[in-house]
Amino acid sequence: MTKKFQPFADDSASLNIGDFTVENGTDKVALYGSVDVTRDKAGLEKAKALKSVVDAIVKTLGQDKELPDESGPAEAPQQVKNPFA
Amino acid sequence: MRSPNHFFAFLLGALFLASPAVAAACPQHFFGGAEPTLTNPKLAPKTRQICYTEFALLHSGLTRTSLWVAEHLTPRRAKGARALNRLNNFHADPNLPPNERAELSDYVRSGFDRGHMAPAGDMTTPQGMDESFSLANMVPQNSENNRNLWESIERAVRDYSERREVYVVTGPIFQGENLQALKGRVLVPTHIAKAIYDPQSNIAGAYLVPNQPGNDYRIISLAELQQLSGIDAFPQLPASVKQTATSLPVPQLRRPRGGARSVARPSAEENTQVPSPRPSTDGFVGDILDAIDQFGRRP
Repeated sequence: MTKKFQPFADDSASLNIGDFTVENGTDKVALYGSVDVTRDKAGLEKAKALKSVVDAIVKTLGQDKELPDESGPAEAPQQVKNPFA
Repeated sequence: MRSPNHFFAFLLGALFLASPAVAAACPQHFFGGAEPTLTNPKLAPKTRQICYTEFALLHSGLTRTSLWVAEHLTPRRAKGARALNRLNNFHADPNLPPNERAELSDYVRSGFDRGHMAPAGDMTTPQGMDESFSLANMVPQNSENNRNLWESIERAVRDYSERREVYVVTGPIFQGENLQALKGRVLVPTHIAKAIYDPQSNIAGAYLVPNQPGNDYRIISLAELQQLSGIDAFPQLPASVKQTATSLPVPQLRRPRGGARSVARPSAEENTQVPSPRPSTDGFVGDILDAIDQFGRRP
């Protein structure tokens, strides 16, 4: 079991902060969804959580000495016969 | 029959070809205790049923995806859902033979999302949540669709279940002579469908969504869904209910996009979407890594 969210370290971790999702990947981290940061203590916790995720992403990328300008496009899927047709 | 693993999932090699209904292994997930049946016999090879705590599925070794995923959503369950802030892990399903299942590597750099059939947001327990991250519960889904229209459909159904119990069957549809396949292994569905039956009102229908960007969807009858998918989602229902496409809750898009609105639906009173206040999740501590340590731990 991964215990910490380490950006780009695996293709399995998925973190949710309310309805906001952060999905880890060795090629990309996907951030999507929606979260209300309310003007209260719960909102502050959410904001801190979001911040620490983004900070970790920035830190990991910043430390990568071999970071390319662009990582290139996705792999095109192959074509296969539909087994159900 | 293999021995149950530590998730208490029971695996059944399904060897029937749309045969007379056998007693389902986990009837609690199905309307009338009867699992969906395959009316297209070509779907049957290499299928295995997995019973999890909060949903059941039929997995295909031909597509390396589920063919149907069944859930029973109730107002009581809806109260327990949505409150889990935690770290989850996508994983290959330990109940499936490696040569029949999707692996994490199949989806890497594919450009497709791992689209949940039983939504993580429906789960009420850490175990249910973990089980929902099995790749057996996933299909390759267009990212934009997964994160917008599809998510709003999932939310509409969940909101509806806060007031009325519903049986839900979700699954991919594979149409056409040829299909795309991630790494030549995991088949990409052309459409994804979510069928709903509300026993209290005795109404049924299904959302049919093309697996592509945009907000287009159709509401179809279960009879039409069966024609398209080769699956009878609710075998216990009388034909009269299956023939009628009931207007289902309208998904409320968070990010309405110009132009691509689908046909206006007749609005029913139950379509008013009032977002319920989220139960506060006490213990979600400030430093996320601590939080993850806390929530990511198995109970």
